[in-house]
Amino acid sequence: MSGDPAVDDLVAALGEALAPDRVRHDGAERALLSRDASVFEGGVAGPVCFPVSTSEVQAIMRIAAAGGHNVVPRGAGTGLAGGAIPLGAPIVVSTTRMNRILDVDVDDRIAWVEPGVVNLDLSRHLGPLGFHFAPDPSSQQVCTIGGNVANNSGGPHCLAEGVTNAHVRAIEVVLPDGEVAMLGGLDAEPLGYDLRGVFVGGEGTLGIATRIAVTITPNPPAVRTLLLSFAEVVDAANTVSAVIAAGCVPAAMEVMDQRITVAVERYVGAGYPTDAAAVLLAEVDGLAHGVDHDAETIATIGRANGATDVRLAANDDERALLWKGRKTAFGAIAQIAPDYYLHDTVVPRSKLADVLEQVYAIADRHELLVMNVFHAGDGNLHPLLIFDAREPGVLERVHLAGAEIITASLDAGGVLSGEHGIGVEKQQYMDRLFTDDDLDHQDRLRRAFDPTCRANPGKVLPVGHSCADIQSLRAVPTGVWG
Amino acid sequence: MDLGLASDDLDKCVQCGLCLSSCPTYRVTGDETMSPRGRIALMRHVQHRGAPLTAEVVDAFETCIQCRGCEPACPSSVPYGHLIEQTRSVLVASGASTPWWQRLAFRQLARPRLLRAGTTVLALAQRAHLVPQRLGLPARLPLRRDPHVVSGRDVYLFTGCVMDAWQRDVHHAAARVLEAAGCGVTPTGDAAPCCGALQAHAGLLDETRRLARRMIEQLEPDVPIVVDSAGCGAAMKDYGRLLDTDEGRAFAERVVDVHEFLAPILDRLPTVDPLDLRVAVQDPCHLRHVQRVHGATRTVLAPFVRELVELDDDGLCCGAGGAYSVLHPALAGTVRSRKLAAITRASADVVASANPGCTMHLAAGGCATLHPIELIDRALSEERAPGRPPRRSRRRSSRG
Ligand SMILES: Cc1cc2nc3c(=O)[nH]c(=O)nc-3n(C[C@H](O)[C@H](O)[C@H](O)COP(=O)(O)OP(=O)(O)OC[C@H]3O[C@@H](n4cnc5c(N)ncnc54)[C@H](O)[C@@H]3O)c2cc1C
Ligand code: SF4
Ligand code: SF4
Repeated sequence: MSGDPAVDDLVAALGEALAPDRVRHDGAERALLSRDASVFEGGVAGPVCFPVSTSEVQAIMRIAAAGGHNVVPRGAGTGLAGGAIPLGAPIVVSTTRMNRILDVDVDDRIAWVEPGVVNLDLSRHLGPLGFHFAPDPSSQQVCTIGGNVANNSGGPHCLAEGVTNAHVRAIEVVLPDGEVAMLGGLDAEPLGYDLRGVFVGGEGTLGIATRIAVTITPNPPAVRTLLLSFAEVVDAANTVSAVIAAGCVPAAMEVMDQRITVAVERYVGAGYPTDAAAVLLAEVDGLAHGVDHDAETIATIGRANGATDVRLAANDDERALLWKGRKTAFGAIAQIAPDYYLHDTVVPRSKLADVLEQVYAIADRHELLVMNVFHAGDGNLHPLLIFDAREPGVLERVHLAGAEIITASLDAGGVLSGEHGIGVEKQQYMDRLFTDDDLDHQDRLRRAFDPTCRANPGKVLPVGHSCADIQSLRAVPTGVWG
Repeated sequence: MDLGLASDDLDKCVQCGLCLSSCPTYRVTGDETMSPRGRIALMRHVQHRGAPLTAEVVDAFETCIQCRGCEPACPSSVPYGHLIEQTRSVLVASGASTPWWQRLAFRQLARPRLLRAGTTVLALAQRAHLVPQRLGLPARLPLRRDPHVVSGRDVYLFTGCVMDAWQRDVHHAAARVLEAAGCGVTPTGDAAPCCGALQAHAGLLDETRRLARRMIEQLEPDVPIVVDSAGCGAAMKDYGRLLDTDEGRAFAERVVDVHEFLAPILDRLPTVDPLDLRVAVQDPCHLRHVQRVHGATRTVLAPFVRELVELDDDGLCCGAGGAYSVLHPALAGTVRSRKLAAITRASADVVASANPGCTMHLAAGGCATLHPIELIDRALSEERAPGRPPRRSRRRSSRG
């Protein structure tokens, strides 16, 4: 009992539509679901629902629509831009119980999944069939396909294969009014506008995905993984541009600077050199003959750009360990300082080295420690500012440095987010990239799905654009900096 | 409320969520309050922000199986096991957790004679069909136990509490295998009646400390202490931290899991024909996530069976968790179903698991489970069986 009869009625109605033990409204649950993996605080969750079917999601949406309540979908809560932070005391719809792999069609290379299926679980399931799901965010062992779709997430292996958008064929969506719509389709060229493409990357502001048809990718017959060491970070960045310029598109190209490799070594002992200023982890896949040729190309270009050492992973175990190191980089840095703020901008590959130097200079100016790990092949930078939030005044410096990093990236012709989404994190920068006119059109597109702005309100579009401008949302402004 | 947790340990968690999939209770509920990240956040709320200990918060802490699967998954090395143990001990002290009757039950573990007498009563009751199956007891508790035999003093074999009363056959098998490797064995028997692991999980840390000190006093120094129960071994290896004394640390150094002990001296065991079985290895959590010596199980077992097969669930807990399966039968059952599905996928003849709680819990779920040492013992004793024609000595294969 909450003491507020309206809330009690809402909880009771939801409990009746689902099952009483799949609707929670206690303080512990709400406190936990007011956060995700980002630094943002200030969210306040309403009742938390754990539906198990499309019709249950529909029932929740109808109850929300009838009562004018906001709704926020949530997957595993690993988002880094605050997409799942509940603003406006919404009903939180957790998809974790909708985690069935419904159908796999190897001939048509399609898998139908519920949104709560964990990314890696799908690839594991497909493994014995000789397939995998290509987008592989570093959080893949925990994040959900629904979250991947909503954030249009990428991963190290999206360089050649493309990010989530390239791997989603059709999405069943429960719209904010409770109607169910199928966006996209299994035909090669579905008729009409590509609404599927609109939904991917919609960050939960357009409705809730309840079933998703994804493309499954055959496992490559051969893989080669190289580790190149450099005495300068820019040498690594230049190597990346040169490899692509040479017409070779590896499956993945990831750069980590020395601070990262030191932290990662302490955690997994992946075998990274800790004395190199930067390492480039590159992977090529395809037919055996081709991969040897590509590996040689990368090695040659690396040496020409100053690589001090080039190593080829000897076997699958070594390869897996190198990737484990890369994929746990964000977590591993917590051994250095308790808090981090991870940025996610994309710059043209040719400007990589340039922007990187600026990032280091910006951090220096604000007396902050910065580490760089990035999907170099895409020009997707992930500078990590690490700090101890207990130090007075440090948050302001982190904030300022962050703003300057974003400015530097945009000035170099880049964009705001490579893969983590806009969420609440980068809203205020949207008008740096878009004109008022652009933003108005985006707002209108959104309203076509959600005329009353109740689906994940307060996200993506900056304040001043109606869907973000609901006063009540700002009534809990403990500030995103806790 | 002060939970007595070190701020530095709590602050190590950056709430990345990378531990979520390794947590059995989160896996089956999808609920953040049942996850490591959530439980750590609740600890912070209670300790740093004065949030009240509501029923839901206590439930979140009590439903943790303490399998510690979240630890190897965590890139920030959050010492979760110590955090939850300490939290539970404060809950007990404040009366919020582990009621008196449970505490009383835990105290009986250190009373070997009583435990054995109780077992005999239960065994008789079972035979009279008076014991409901849902209690998860082994299908047929032993009515009598062969006495332990001292064959030398190269190693102690730690025999413990419930395991000695219910599964003494496993200790006998371990002793025979150690002897076959040329070690004289002293079973610890009533000299060291209980390691205190179950008590520590329930938050009765003082009771565990008392038992630890007693064991250290009773056992002679310098003799390695071989343990065939993963949970006991993990607890005893932690005595150094628990007691924070030099004696505790020196003792902990001597504790060694039976597979860990045998792996480097495997060539001392006779070469025999492997059992014609496809065996799935189910790692007890405290062997895999805490002691992290599960590789040794495979090394030691591989030569004695036709085939070893891995489960495809990344070492997720089976739900046994010491007394957990008794205290939280519904959740433990759901977690076990997940494990049983993985076992079915592995299509093995038998499952090997090196912890009494896990073998019992899985067996109660209808899955034939043996301790790896029983399989090794069986392979060795088939060879010894009289009347069999002598075999050509075979090269030991190094499968697994
Ligand atoms: C250590 C770490 C590493 C990471 N590495 C990467 C990386 O390499 N690449 C990358 O792109 N991201 C990365 N991320 C970010 C994050 O993991 C991804 O954005 C992921 O896709 C989020 O999935 P989730 O299930 O956790 O979603 P959540 O965080 O729960 O939600 C994310 C957004 O999706 C919406 N949403 C969730 N489910 C649905 C649904 N069914 N329908 C509609 N909307 C929905 C939510 O409202 C929210 O806006 C990383 C995060 C961490 C902590
Ligand atoms: S315990 Fe470790 S893995 Fe889990 S959320 Fe915290 S830092 Fe991440
Ligand atoms: S110890 Fe096990 S049950 Fe407890 S939080 Fe960690 S993984 Fe989950």
